[in-house]
Amino acid sequence: MKQQDFLVCRCEEVTYNELMETASRTGCTARELKLRTRAGMGYCGGRTCRPLVQQITQKLEKAPHTRVTLKYQPPVRPISFGDLGGGEE
Amino acid sequence: MYDVIIIGAGPAGLSAAATTANQGLEVLVVDEYMKAGGRLLGQLYEEPDGTYWNGIKESNHLYERANQSGAEIKLGTSILNIEKSGDVWLVYTEKDTYETSHLLLATGAAESPSPVPGWTLPGVMSVGAAQVMTNVHRVKPGKRGVIIGVNPLAAVIASELQMAGVEVTALTLPQMNGLNEEAAHPKQVMNQLLHVAHMAPSALIRQGSKWMKPSIMQDLGITFYPKSGFKMWGIPVHLRKAVTEILGDEKVAAVKLATVKPNGDVIEGTEEIITCDFVCIAGGLYPLTELAAVAGCPFYLVDELGGYVPLHNERMETALDGLYVAGNITGIEGAKVAIAQGVTAGLTMASNHGVQGLKDRIEQSIEEIEQTRDNAPFHFHPDVKKGKQIVQEKWEEMMAAEQPL
Repeated sequence: MKQQDFLVCRCEEVTYNELMETASRTGCTARELKLRTRAGMGYCGGRTCRPLVQQITQKLEKAPHTRVTLKYQPPVRPISFGDLGGGEE
Repeated sequence: MYDVIIIGAGPAGLSAAATTANQGLEVLVVDEYMKAGGRLLGQLYEEPDGTYWNGIKESNHLYERANQSGAEIKLGTSILNIEKSGDVWLVYTEKDTYETSHLLLATGAAESPSPVPGWTLPGVMSVGAAQVMTNVHRVKPGKRGVIIGVNPLAAVIASELQMAGVEVTALTLPQMNGLNEEAAHPKQVMNQLLHVAHMAPSALIRQGSKWMKPSIMQDLGITFYPKSGFKMWGIPVHLRKAVTEILGDEKVAAVKLATVKPNGDVIEGTEEIITCDFVCIAGGLYPLTELAAVAGCPFYLVDELGGYVPLHNERMETALDGLYVAGNITGIEGAKVAIAQGVTAGLTMASNHGVQGLKDRIEQSIEEIEQTRDNAPFHFHPDVKKGKQIVQEKWEEMMAAEQPL
């Protein structure tokens, strides 16, 4: 039975079919898949879909054991521009 | 300037806090949740000896102990970044920046619910979310739920929901897709369940599991697995049925369930609709390592531990000077192991800070972690000990290479 499509990255509205199609067409790494589709680049910083994006390309990537395939960057939690800039109240 | 900052007020963080503060160090614990206890808060289950493990009670106890030892505990505060400046670790929150010489990451684990069609509808949540709603906030997630994913975590939470008076209609597999292969494969799921069958509430399952060890028996077992499922705490557990879609216009109204072959393929024409008002997805847990990653810790991917873990030694030191880890960030295990690791991390930090005469106690605490692990009624991954060994080996390889980090 055909698999129905569904969202993987909610913030950037990237679907399962889009990710699978991109991965199999380009044979790309997790980082490239993220950059091509924007999955994991939304407001939440990939807190839900990061492991899923990694999983899609895990079989394609060579020896990813020693490094985290998708980079983490600060701030690791959403923050308002006011707080980030340290501006006046 | 603190002597020690601990990120995470779960079992590992709180136990490390009490340990270090009792050695006379000035300690700050920070956690983003409004209550202390971490994932321990939601736990409520019966131990093999018949007593109940109540996470809220255990959390309160750990919190009180840390508090009385003099540790400062700040809740509802997220850490956005950590970085080293000279000999000092800078810890950034939204409003303030704290400084410390010893920084412990006890950030625990996060859930990775595997998606199925319809999973973005309101009323769909991870099993952990349902657990926190029910046991911590005392809010029913709904009246009648379906749990997608058959694993120990799902079974425990199903029983907790039932204790809270919430009906769980079924535990069932998800339809197989590229993101859930193992969790959707009937035979593989059964194989994993056999590792925890000695914990089952039914004597029939406990006995039956002994006969099921050979692979041929597993083939037969899954082929003849009752189509209506096996009952656990009165809840049908389906290994030959899978959810193909969660249905509803504005929120969850039902799931579409189909019979699957032993390899997970859906059998056409077997679909049925089961009404419900909430759905829980039981995925796995993975170590929450984002702060270790931004700090620049070397990692290694260890499936037996749930994912990428920062390399560390038995004393819970990472490769970065003054940075330590304890609890589920080092691999997915139970709260008791986390508490034991917190003690070791705490003693190591105190010793590195200049407290004399802790060598024997550190050695002893390392042994206690091992013992706690051996005595655990079940392991999230059956080969967790092998995973720990891999980390140890990779750590030694890295040290032997003597590359300055």
